[in-house]
Amino acid sequence: MTAIARMALLDLRTVWPYRYYWFAMFGLGILLFGGKPVWLVPGLVLIFTSQFAPYPFNVADKAGLETLYAVLPVPHRSVLYGRYAWAVAVFLATVAAGTTLAVLLARAESVQFSGRTLLTMLTLSWALFAVNTAIQFPLFIRFGYTRASVLGTTLPFAVIVGTLYKTHLTIASMQSWIALVGVAGVVAIVASAAVATTADRRARAFRRPTPNGPDRF
Amino acid sequence: MNSHLAFALRGVSTAVGNKFALHDVSFELPTGYVMGLMGANGAGKTTIIRCLLGMRQVDSGEIELLGHRVPGPVALRQDIGVVLDHAFLVGDWRLTEVERTLRPFYDRWDGACYRELLDEFGLDLRAKVKDLSRGMSMKLMIAAALSHRARLLVFDEPTSGLDPVTRDELVGIVGDFLIDEGHSVLFSTHIASDLDRIGDYLTLIHDGRIVRTGTKDEVLEAYRVVRGGPDDLNEFVGVQLIGVRRTSAGAQALVRTEEAGLLGGDVVVEAPTLEEIAIHIGARVPRREPDSFMSTGRIA
Repeated sequence: MTAIARMALLDLRTVWPYRYYWFAMFGLGILLFGGKPVWLVPGLVLIFTSQFAPYPFNVADKAGLETLYAVLPVPHRSVLYGRYAWAVAVFLATVAAGTTLAVLLARAESVQFSGRTLLTMLTLSWALFAVNTAIQFPLFIRFGYTRASVLGTTLPFAVIVGTLYKTHLTIASMQSWIALVGVAGVVAIVASAAVATTADRRARAFRRPTPNGPDRF
Repeated sequence: MNSHLAFALRGVSTAVGNKFALHDVSFELPTGYVMGLMGANGAGKTTIIRCLLGMRQVDSGEIELLGHRVPGPVALRQDIGVVLDHAFLVGDWRLTEVERTLRPFYDRWDGACYRELLDEFGLDLRAKVKDLSRGMSMKLMIAAALSHRARLLVFDEPTSGLDPVTRDELVGIVGDFLIDEGHSVLFSTHIASDLDRIGDYLTLIHDGRIVRTGTKDEVLEAYRVVRGGPDDLNEFVGVQLIGVRRTSAGAQALVRTEEAGLLGGDVVVEAPTLEEIAIHIGARVPRREPDSFMSTGRIA
């Protein structure tokens, strides 16, 4: 197993004690968007993935896990990239579960949606995930979850709402932009990881004590 | 690099802004021994440990750790166990989850050893990290460190806030760890009595500078405690009084052994305890300029 995979697994273990809360959040997303199967996956990404993917930052901040990361025999960069890998894994799991549910619900409710529409919704989901992650992660890495949580939650939301408002994007109009949106999402994530690498260097140079930390390291 | 050394710091300096956090720090520990790092709160003990573990960059000097120059290969951390007075783990993890979490990172992880140690320390595998007392947390971290077969244990003030029984247990654990001659311990503390029992070597640090380093006997032999009436400890030519403490009943200070002969006959000169050395050195007002009495030492 690579160091990045081990760190992603560590993030899973970090949030595992709180799984029931997050299952409930996932269930809430299904309740909210289950009536419109086409919108289920983007809805889950917006209200579940965008909160769950950065959750290891929250737990790590409170538990002082920076010390653990520092003493584990993995390169520090793996901590960073492992967290991105974790986020992508959460997105893929959400998409897999959400798409399966969406198809089943659509059949049960006799709702028709084409493969093209499904692809558009998955691309939209990817874009929502990419915007969230690209903005949130460097902020949390540089300033810590506790200090940046409000900005990290509101800024991506404002960007998404602003983009939809400015572009008057619809499912029909998005279909011609699928490839571009897909690639743009990848570019955003990669650029975010690059920014986060610099932010991480600065954060480690100017690290303040963790908010509730007996953690002297 | 010297393979007989567990670690060595040579002329290490690091600063925060314009202020030195560490200034020209040099000391070393041969493999197989316990080094006590003693100083008051804020003296620089944790900064030294951070530098040693490669968690903080140094501005000058070099650090050797288990035969490698720091920052060394990442795999070097397989050989190091870090024990603080709290567990740097998720509070809601059960001790079984702690093992599942740490195991993938260590090539030599021994699950049976982990469970045996927890059993020996009286820790329940089903307990949550957040429900452990400070002493139990410390034991958990020791169990984790020993389960991945660390060669160097680094303790950062593990005994502060512990009851005497638990501190005594810790001494026993460290003693067992040292049965293997390839194992070494760095033990940072401001509690002198801990080092009285387990310290082979001692390094005294004050205001980011090494005051004295050597074997415990060498350090004890380097100072004398001098006591007199309230007005007895004023100026003595050629004698540096260290950390003079005055009360209405009398005065007490530390002096270097070679200067003790210059004191007059009105004062009592005795061999100090480690606690007395720590108190008097810690009582000194921090200085900005290089301190004349403070020698940067090296183990002979």
